[in-house]
Amino acid sequence: MQWVEVRGKTIDVAVEAAMRELGIDDRDRLEIEVIQQPERGFLGLGGKDAIVRVKPKPARKRRRRRRKGKGEHAATQRGRGRENRKPRRERNGARPARSEPKEKEAATVEEREVTIEEQTRVVEEFLRGLVDAFGLEGEVKTRLEDDVIVVDVIGPQTEAMVGPRGSVIEAIHELTKTVLQRRTQTAPRVRLDIAGYAERRRQALTIYANQLIDQVLEEGGEIMLEPMSAADRKVIHDAVAAREGVRSYSEGEAPQRYVVIAKVEEDSEDSAAAEEE
Amino acid sequence: MAKGDIVKSVVAYVVGQIVSRPEEVQVTLVERGPNEVLAEVRTAKGDMGRVIGRRGRVARAIRTVAQAAADEEGLVAGVEFVD
Repeated sequence: MQWVEVRGKTIDVAVEAAMRELGIDDRDRLEIEVIQQPERGFLGLGGKDAIVRVKPKPARKRRRRRRKGKGEHAATQRGRGRENRKPRRERNGARPARSEPKEKEAATVEEREVTIEEQTRVVEEFLRGLVDAFGLEGEVKTRLEDDVIVVDVIGPQTEAMVGPRGSVIEAIHELTKTVLQRRTQTAPRVRLDIAGYAERRRQALTIYANQLIDQVLEEGGEIMLEPMSAADRKVIHDAVAAREGVRSYSEGEAPQRYVVIAKVEEDSEDSAAAEEE
Repeated sequence: MAKGDIVKSVVAYVVGQIVSRPEEVQVTLVERGPNEVLAEVRTAKGDMGRVIGRRGRVARAIRTVAQAAADEEGLVAGVEFVD
């Protein structure tokens, strides 16, 4: 189940932003968890934003999960579709860990899940602080897609954190991963966009890829593209995968790694795109 | 606001987030010209490796981000990691 985490000056402001994000206009249809109460700073210094985490309430008819009894309410479950959940540890009155063997088994899975949320928090706080250090106005929004932490830094001023050809975004991405590694000893996947740059680039690259695909389909053979980042190569692979009669693969070593778009020969079985990355 | 303040604040913040002893991070700005500043970074012993990273990856990222901060003030910024 997707959730979004939003900051705002007050809880209401944050919740409203989250509702816009989720496209839900009825507050009753949301599950809202307050992660951080807002605090007024002194003379505008040191204040804290409210942070809320919000997701749509599960639909009624949703398949019932096996109850494990002992005061676990569906509403407080963090439904991401795994069995055998137990209450999250820490935050807002953690429940004492139980030591029944059955729950022990679940612990590894649960542990990992809790961790990714903590990782998300680390990422968000780091980027929030970075925007502040730049003296810019901007918002940091995070969400999880599968096991990828997706972060959008938004606001017109954050354009200053993009850089020529996204070079500053790349640097900030690197730093974000470094901070995560230092703080949590883990290396989850993080996707970062700032000021909508990656999205615009993705669209432009997709158009470009489709022009090249047309050319390959018409003239046959292969086209080698210029070296690109892994993220950009993925966009090309995806564009190729969406079309019939062409395939793509990467060659070379980063940072000189590049994509090749090739026409699929008649007798070739190999219609798969993008094996690796 | 003094010249290079954004560079200093960004570099100090990032380095502070990476090291194990943020209280020992020192960033000193040196003026190199009318439009050029150098941020000298000092950390606790043992933390500098983290700040530089494997094959200088982290150091390079810090330099890129420092320049982005400098652009805000129309400056050129360098970062030196002082051992």
